[in-house]
Amino acid sequence: MSHSTPPANEPNSTSTSLEEPGVLVAKKHHILVRWSHWLNVPILLGLILSGISIYWASPIYQHKPDPITGNFDVAVDIGIWICTHVPGLHHYGSPPDWIYNHMSLGPGMLALALRLHWLCANSFMLNGMVYLAGLVMGGGWRSLLPRRTDLFDALRMLRYYVGFPVAKLVRRKWLHPRFNTKYNALQRAAYFSIPVAGILSVTTGWAIHKPMQLHWLAALFGGYNAARVWHFCLMWVFILFIAPHVILVFADGWDTLRSMIVGWSTRVKRSEPIANER
Amino acid sequence: MSDDKKSDSLQPEEIRSTGSPLSANCGLRTDGAASSVPVGSLSMKKPQGFFEERSLPAIEMTAGRLRYLSRRDVLLFGAGAVVALAGGGFLLPQDTLSRLGVRRNMDSPGKEWFLNKALRIDDDVAEALYSRDRRVPNYTKSQITPLKNNYNGATPDPGYISGWNLTLDGLASGLSISLDIRNLLARFSVHEQITRLVCVEGWSAIAWWAGLRFDDLLRAYPPMSQAKWARVESSVNLDASGNSDPYFVSIDLATARHPQTLLATHFNGQPLTVDHGAPLRLLAPVKLGLKNVKAITKLTYVAEEPRDYWAERGYSRYDGI
Repeated sequence: MSHSTPPANEPNSTSTSLEEPGVLVAKKHHILVRWSHWLNVPILLGLILSGISIYWASPIYQHKPDPITGNFDVAVDIGIWICTHVPGLHHYGSPPDWIYNHMSLGPGMLALALRLHWLCANSFMLNGMVYLAGLVMGGGWRSLLPRRTDLFDALRMLRYYVGFPVAKLVRRKWLHPRFNTKYNALQRAAYFSIPVAGILSVTTGWAIHKPMQLHWLAALFGGYNAARVWHFCLMWVFILFIAPHVILVFADGWDTLRSMIVGWSTRVKRSEPIANER
Repeated sequence: MSDDKKSDSLQPEEIRSTGSPLSANCGLRTDGAASSVPVGSLSMKKPQGFFEERSLPAIEMTAGRLRYLSRRDVLLFGAGAVVALAGGGFLLPQDTLSRLGVRRNMDSPGKEWFLNKALRIDDDVAEALYSRDRRVPNYTKSQITPLKNNYNGATPDPGYISGWNLTLDGLASGLSISLDIRNLLARFSVHEQITRLVCVEGWSAIAWWAGLRFDDLLRAYPPMSQAKWARVESSVNLDASGNSDPYFVSIDLATARHPQTLLATHFNGQPLTVDHGAPLRLLAPVKLGLKNVKAITKLTYVAEEPRDYWAERGYSRYDGI
């Protein structure tokens, strides 16, 4: 009996499910979506770490040079602040480099950082194409499209998240809003925005990588310098997405995490309220 | 999770309501109001639009098989994660690794080869993007921004300027030609342009340049027929402590022939100062700033790609932007 592919109308033997209790499972993520999803972890990490090393060479966020140290980089200011105020870091060897030593590959390695950045950027573009192919082949793209009802539903979800800790504290029942779609409106907004942010990162990346041959692309983002700022801000979009994304997956449980690895979800009946509130 | 149990317990009802558990799949995700309706019939109720979300195709699977698939894929993905971690760690710069506490030297020819390959692909893309007919944007005088003296080492003493000559080698004539700045300015027409100079570090400056076209020099003194490259050299370049450190880059002749590639003699309407490479510097706006050699002393036309100061220090070779 082959279960690996979801057959449309194959007369499934109910007899086997009598012998062993069966589970109703739904294919949630196409295999290409799953692989590309996880590949994004090392690729984005590499892009961010090498990216901040590249940033070190010419910071965008600058102020007038400090009369004593000559420093003009805001990231360096933060590093110096951390080393003076965080206990245990008072004797850190190079406070100006603290940020770069901890949030990047390190300062003073522009050539290496650029090479790794191009390597990761090329992988990111390939991986993005694999992801999009998976969305198309698995039909998953339809679940990501914004709906007219999304704004209202997103507010309902926000209300749920804000009220959840309070309800827990006063031991009140606090039901998850019901949705009969694969994702709720907030998820959909996030999962729709991230591929868009990916595409924008790639285009701003090309705009600042080839500002002469592709100068029209840089002009689209307001010129070369503005495209650099865009590219930098898009990094923050990914960072700000990842934190709640990881927290909520663990909060939601093994089934959700497993579905991104195995593809199957046992939560077939989405119209039921989430049971763990009972 | 109790949630899983719940769907398990729901399952017999699903089977009952639809006859076959499999035909239930397409209609499983129903809205709240219709949830009591047998799910199988829902999919027949209305044809779905192209953009409309489809319900997830569901099947019934034995619990044992689901456990097996989960175990298999978690192990498979786990192995992938270990490989990615090891591969990523292997590619990290040695400085980063030593900060992470790795004592052993992880640099190897294989790593170098792989990273060079990635860099080469990038250069090939840049070369494919290049077109002689594609001009870089011209700016107006009001858009000019300050340009710092970005000599990598110390700025040379201006003493060299009085005895300065440009030597041309690798010419079709087989001769070695020496030209001084007066020869150059008298023989060639001067072109002006306000273009952006982009540094590999990320900063850029819009500056007003004037000078002769590299293309015009190539026409007046044609290189030997096999030549594909120019080695552009400055013998007056100094390192940070002021010692002689000749600077040399490779420029492909296709870029040298670009109409906006100048051998610049003027900056902001004035003859070049020492800071900006008096009396003659390369200005190739289609290349990164590091190819824009200041105080050129020698041009050599060669068939094979010549050495490049920054490529030897880990940067790319073509540097087209």
